[in-house]
Amino acid sequence: MNLQIFVNALVNAALIAPPAMAFSLLFGVLKFPNFAIGGYITLGAFAAYTFNVPLGLPLPLATLGAMLFTGFVVWLAHVWVFKPMQDQSAVTLLVVSIALTLILESVVRLFFSADVRGFDIPLERPWKFWGARITREQVEIIACAVVLATGLHVLLRHTRIGRAMRAVADNPMLAAIRGVDAAKITALTTVLCGAIFGLTGVFAGLDLVIEPLVGWNLTIPIFAAAILGGIGSPYGAILGALLLGLAEELTILVLPSTYKIAVGFVIIAIFLLLRPQGLFGTAEIKK
Amino acid sequence: MTEAILSVTGLRSGYGRTVICDDISLQVSAGQITCIIGPNGAGKSTLLKTIAGVVPAIDGSIRVAGVQMAGLPAARVAGSGMAYVPQEANVFRALTTHENLAMGGWQDEGRTQAARDRVYDMFPDLKPLARVPAGNLSGGQRQMVAFGMALMLEPQVLLLDEPSAGLSPLMVGEMFETVRRVNAEGVAILMVEQNALQGLKTAHEGIVMAAGRIAMQGAASELLNSADVSELYLGSRI
Amino acid sequence: MSAYLVSMATYAGFFMILALALNLQWGLTGMVNFGIAGFYALGAYTSGLLSAKAGWPLGLSIPMAIAAGFAAGGLVALLSMRLREDFLAIVTLGVGEVIRLIVLNEDQITEGPRGLRIEAQPFQSLMAPENYPVFYLGFVAFFVAITYWICERIRKAPMGRTLRAIREDDVVAGVLGKNVFRHRIQIFAIGGGFMGLAGALYAHYSQNISPEVFMPTVAMFIWMSVIVGGAGNNRGLLIGAGTVIMFLEGTRFFGDVLPWLDAETMSSVRIITIGLLLIVTLRLRPRGLLPEPKFTYTRDKIAG
Ligand SMILES: Nc1ncnc2c1ncn2[C@@H]1O[C@H](COP(=O)(O)OP(=O)(O)OP(=O)(O)O)[C@@H](O)[C@H]1O
Ligand SMILES: [Mg+2]
Repeated sequence: MNLQIFVNALVNAALIAPPAMAFSLLFGVLKFPNFAIGGYITLGAFAAYTFNVPLGLPLPLATLGAMLFTGFVVWLAHVWVFKPMQDQSAVTLLVVSIALTLILESVVRLFFSADVRGFDIPLERPWKFWGARITREQVEIIACAVVLATGLHVLLRHTRIGRAMRAVADNPMLAAIRGVDAAKITALTTVLCGAIFGLTGVFAGLDLVIEPLVGWNLTIPIFAAAILGGIGSPYGAILGALLLGLAEELTILVLPSTYKIAVGFVIIAIFLLLRPQGLFGTAEIKK
Repeated sequence: MTEAILSVTGLRSGYGRTVICDDISLQVSAGQITCIIGPNGAGKSTLLKTIAGVVPAIDGSIRVAGVQMAGLPAARVAGSGMAYVPQEANVFRALTTHENLAMGGWQDEGRTQAARDRVYDMFPDLKPLARVPAGNLSGGQRQMVAFGMALMLEPQVLLLDEPSAGLSPLMVGEMFETVRRVNAEGVAILMVEQNALQGLKTAHEGIVMAAGRIAMQGAASELLNSADVSELYLGSRI
Repeated sequence: MSAYLVSMATYAGFFMILALALNLQWGLTGMVNFGIAGFYALGAYTSGLLSAKAGWPLGLSIPMAIAAGFAAGGLVALLSMRLREDFLAIVTLGVGEVIRLIVLNEDQITEGPRGLRIEAQPFQSLMAPENYPVFYLGFVAFFVAITYWICERIRKAPMGRTLRAIREDDVVAGVLGKNVFRHRIQIFAIGGGFMGLAGALYAHYSQNISPEVFMPTVAMFIWMSVIVGGAGNNRGLLIGAGTVIMFLEGTRFFGDVLPWLDAETMSSVRIITIGLLLIVTLRLRPRGLLPEPKFTYTRDKIAG
């Protein structure tokens, strides 16, 4: 077997794992699979592009701007769309979230057309080792993902706010009884996840290309990683992302690469049917 | 009667447009245990939820140590010296025992460490379970976590909804013992019990609820001896 | 102009059949289907390929499209009966996408992105070409009426009532046993059959089908029709489908009035408008324009 496959799988996992953790977190408080994440990621990519190329900011600063901007938009979506609709069924909310993705994608199209773009970064030769190659950006993505995952872990396990986030996801009524402002914590979780989706947009722009469909194309792999790891288990999402990346790379060996997106679906279907609790989670997915 | 720590007058509440509890007036004196009994669906849980602010009051007043609580949401009632333990889902299953207790002290994080030590002193059985997620605990252990969480802010009055529900017969006795112990620390308790006999034996005062209203009220020993009560609610358990 | 209206109404007809089928599946079994585009594509390609490549008469190829949708529906239902509805949504969306990917990639058979040209049209030889669009509109309307009639019959039949009553309660479903289980699969399959029919009707109308038509957005539009119209109400969703098509196609008028807007901009504006339509409708009328009588979908918010 080829080392390159593992390198690719690792890069893929670094791209997918943070948003899969965020998706898991978001599912915990909102209780429906939020397809709007596709739109948020696209928005993040284009926000960073705008800061970086037309406005000429260095990429790290542009990334920060994109995270803030996406977090803000996600907060708006929460206040104007999802919060007022919280009594709707999960399916209705799911449809609304797809609509939101379509809206965001189309807004981006209005301003940027469907052309493929990239960030303003110097081209460097990839590093080679033992026959595998990896670019500098890919190494940076992996490093950022590790930092982010560690940060999320510390936040959720070892801070007061993080504990409240988990408590609200677990039992919002009891959290309120213990004096937690559940609505505020939910909004905060939403914004935090929004910032992570914004960052994913930047990563996607670095590793793939910047185009309006970039978020939609990542949505299913993100769901797959989250479900594979066990929904509601942010750590499972990391392993889920690794396994998914590996499965996708192996598929390309036998099938045309256009079938790659189907891998995510097939994994989702198999896991939901055979082991709905994923690798780590608790079963919540069956009726 | 000593001074009332919790005083409810003319309380009415319900879900949406259906009124469940109506014209409820009761007092809980400082340091005393009051037990509410009544048939299923009488509105006992709804009454406690209303007092705790989970279900909004339509009319009437709820005073804790003289301060008006009616109309405040649950999160605002939480720090008022009154703590409520719901009948079901009364722990955070995904959080460890330790973290559950910390959530009990959410409103005053500065006191958490000392308060948690106090709770562990009171429930030594919980100490070895500190790192176990509450979802993995037994029913009795979970009930202790729920109690401990409610006691974190040193409330003056505790609202307990069926603390003995779902426990094994052996655990039931222990549970009432715990209620007495908590009370011995000076905490007034308003509890709902299906187990009317044990509940009234533990309590100083008793209230019988039926169809959303108070049907009878008096000293627990009087209710225990009353013919109506023993026929209706104590039944063969005497 | 009137030719344009006729074509818009015809498209509304396809959407109405799809929406009725979806409502049959969701309303009676509580099982969601986000793979509508896949079933639609299955019907379109089954009838299209059979007539264009195998030379079958339409009298056979269209029923085969229905059969293909029926079989696929039954299979999906059988496999995923017990999934929670929002996760079933992801699985069915996946089924739809996989069907589209197959159509896209197996281009030796399907012609892939080049598009499949279909000459055959029902009753083509019986009339002058200039009258044909109006005839086809009537043809589609006829099938909408039949679909509506069958859906209402199923809904009002004793089994339909029972299914609706237990839709949200699987414990009861379990007690009632195998019979209910079988009926739910049947109903999901029937819904799939109607979607196949809609696909076939579309294929022979447009005479040129390609995978890009069957994007998951189709599922979105149909779900919007059902939700905007009022979930569970068949008359409501006819209005819903009409409204969605009106916004989708009607905004093309802007192109005539405001010529400086290019096609790309127009299509973006169209999607934004229709997405906002859904959100605004739900904000103003949470149960849709014509809500379903008696049964409502709400999630239990107050914990015990
Ligand atoms: N969330 C709710 N929404 C609407 N009605 C409710 C809700 N919860 C309870 N009820 C209704 O309110 C009435 C009183 O219920 P409540 O739970 O207060 O009774 P209870 O006396 O605690 O009974 P039990 O002994 O079974 O616990 C019942 O008729 C019940 O159906
Ligand atoms: Mg009760």
